[in-house]
Amino acid sequence: MVREEYRLHADLFGSGRFGAFPLFVTLIVGGGGWLLGQTGVSTGAVIAGVHALVAFFGLQVGTIGLVGRDAMRDVLGDVTLLVFSARTLPITWRRLLATFLLKDLVYYVALFVTPVVVGLAPLVLASGGTVPTVALLWVTVAGTFALGAAASLTLTGLAGRSRLLVVALIGGILAVSVAGVDLVALSPYALVADPRPATALLALGPTVVLAALAPLAFEPGQASGRRVRRVDGDTYDRLAGLFGDDARGSLTARPLLEVARSSGSVWKVAFSLGVLFAVAAFLLDRVAAATTITASPGLAFGALLGLGSFTTYNWVTSLDDPREYLRYPVGGSAVLAGKQRAYLLLTLPTGLAYLALATVWYRPTALALGVVVFPPVAVYVYGLTASLTGLSPNDLLFDTPLFGVFGAGLAVVAVPLLVCALAAGRYPVVAPAFGVTVALLAGVVGVGLTRRSGPRMDARLRQQE
Amino acid sequence: MPAVTTEALTKQYGDATALDGLSLSVSEGACYGLLGPNGSGKTTAIEILTGQREPTAGTASVLGVDPVANPIEVRRRIGVLPEREDPPSFLSPREYLRFVADVRGLDDPGDRIATWARRFEFEGVLDSLSGDLSEGERQRVMLAAAFVHEPDLVFIDEPLVNLDPLMQETVTDHLADYCDRGHTLFLSTHFVPVAADLCTEVGIVVDGRLVAAPDPAALDGDTLLETFTAEVEAADGGSDRATAHAGDGGPSPGDPSDGGR
Repeated sequence: MVREEYRLHADLFGSGRFGAFPLFVTLIVGGGGWLLGQTGVSTGAVIAGVHALVAFFGLQVGTIGLVGRDAMRDVLGDVTLLVFSARTLPITWRRLLATFLLKDLVYYVALFVTPVVVGLAPLVLASGGTVPTVALLWVTVAGTFALGAAASLTLTGLAGRSRLLVVALIGGILAVSVAGVDLVALSPYALVADPRPATALLALGPTVVLAALAPLAFEPGQASGRRVRRVDGDTYDRLAGLFGDDARGSLTARPLLEVARSSGSVWKVAFSLGVLFAVAAFLLDRVAAATTITASPGLAFGALLGLGSFTTYNWVTSLDDPREYLRYPVGGSAVLAGKQRAYLLLTLPTGLAYLALATVWYRPTALALGVVVFPPVAVYVYGLTASLTGLSPNDLLFDTPLFGVFGAGLAVVAVPLLVCALAAGRYPVVAPAFGVTVALLAGVVGVGLTRRSGPRMDARLRQQE
Repeated sequence: MPAVTTEALTKQYGDATALDGLSLSVSEGACYGLLGPNGSGKTTAIEILTGQREPTAGTASVLGVDPVANPIEVRRRIGVLPEREDPPSFLSPREYLRFVADVRGLDDPGDRIATWARRFEFEGVLDSLSGDLSEGERQRVMLAAAFVHEPDLVFIDEPLVNLDPLMQETVTDHLADYCDRGHTLFLSTHFVPVAADLCTEVGIVVDGRLVAAPDPAALDGDTLLETFTAEVEAADGGSDRATAHAGDGGPSPGDPSDGGR
């Protein structure tokens, strides 16, 4: 499976572009850590942030369970992975899935987690850490990735059995958290502060339990069963009719229906943005606890939810093959415009709902800026992603030069917005005004990028080897 | 005027040559069969002619339009059934055909959808999710999608793949009737009996070059197969590349083929 995964990525991105990815991650983390250190951010805060981001990445990797075999077939054509071969191998499907998860863990730890830790190592050593400290960091970051991936896979598997169960579980976790139980103590991150065997049991236990539960949570029927699902014959017509009785209506309705009918339905959009919302809330909390800075939650949430809309881009483009559209008399511009409408219809209400949820902790007036900033940033992220990847955002993963340009494109908007969010306490008029201006300009750029992306996508697909 | 012409059409994929100066001509109203072994360049030829891929060199014309310079216009006027492609998993056949009708700007798609579902016998699954259908059912939906706008020219890559014998007969009859009504059909296949039964013009392609264009009216199925085998072996210097299916004893068109270039 490892060999299969490597060849798949090397074939998709070219072994050189793909092979440079770990080095790129090391440089980015090392450079970012050094820069944050220069601005006075403590090493502990950097380490906490890295754990939060790796947990987010793990949760995203785990959601592959939401995509499933149909998407693989529709997007990758006749690529067949071993994990889908249970019916022809003398091995149970659960064992095959467990092996697949283990492979993913090994693969991503090697290609992503290890370079992250190597990048962090100079900062840790310069702050008084030792080589065993770095080794421990490797364990906790890898564990955090495993926790994220196992948690989202388990939830996905359980959702196939009972959505009510998943809602009850998430509700239970939130209730326990509100009741004062320190959930961080149940994650590998707890070992960073307290690396004792007793702590390890508590810190790594949930990860091990979830990793064991994930393959069991899936019903084998989800992999091999064949049932024919019927749909209401009028749904498509009604939905397409809302956007026009022509190509425009259909190009919008199709991605919406595909997202809604694939595993996890529209809830996967809420889940992905929810994870990012939680990361943003965690980072805001850390900033408040570690510094005297009064950040603007509206600007911070608006910027991070807008940037996190990239996950929604993934969902609206992951269920079809862009080459399919080359058979129809429509240009890439029309296809991207349809996908954009679907993207905005999914991501904007979801992001605004999270901003509304944030009023539980913050004053509504403090969050109002988020309502202004979030939509144009989401438009920018769509335009940026479309211009770089067309309808294949997965190309970003491991394609080092492309990922670098994408990261720079995000940073151009993210850095000024986050600086404005942090400076809003000291400059209560100028910083928000500048932040809003940056977001609106980004929105305009996003519209322009989207318009330019169609012909480029067509040309790229027609020249593809 | 020929419906399709190519002149010295060449396509390189890195170091590999998929098409090596392919020149051919298809008469209007013909049922043209492009025969060739696995990897001979049939699929690449169709992709270039339907505006899905750009050639490295050479020219092409489809219904008088250059598919390289004006791919959208070509796609508007033709139908395409690619090899090994399925309707979208999360749309029903009715929804997928409505999608195709909309992007093709067709009025009143409902009647057309009902007509094609009846013709290819999938009315019973019109409102089932396509991902849940059998391979044969999905292939029939894809055939309907290629014909739903009743174009003057349809390109089909392996038309009978995944179909049971009864449906193969239904589809073959439909294709023959389509040509009889003056439309042009461009088939790519390595199933020689299909070409012998159906095609009025044939081209044999090996290693991206047209090596022969026998007249099918002057040959029966066995002779066409012999011609094909001889041409392939001659082009390959007697190697065992000839993988055409003879129909009796060989694999059926329902078997997956190479899906290659």
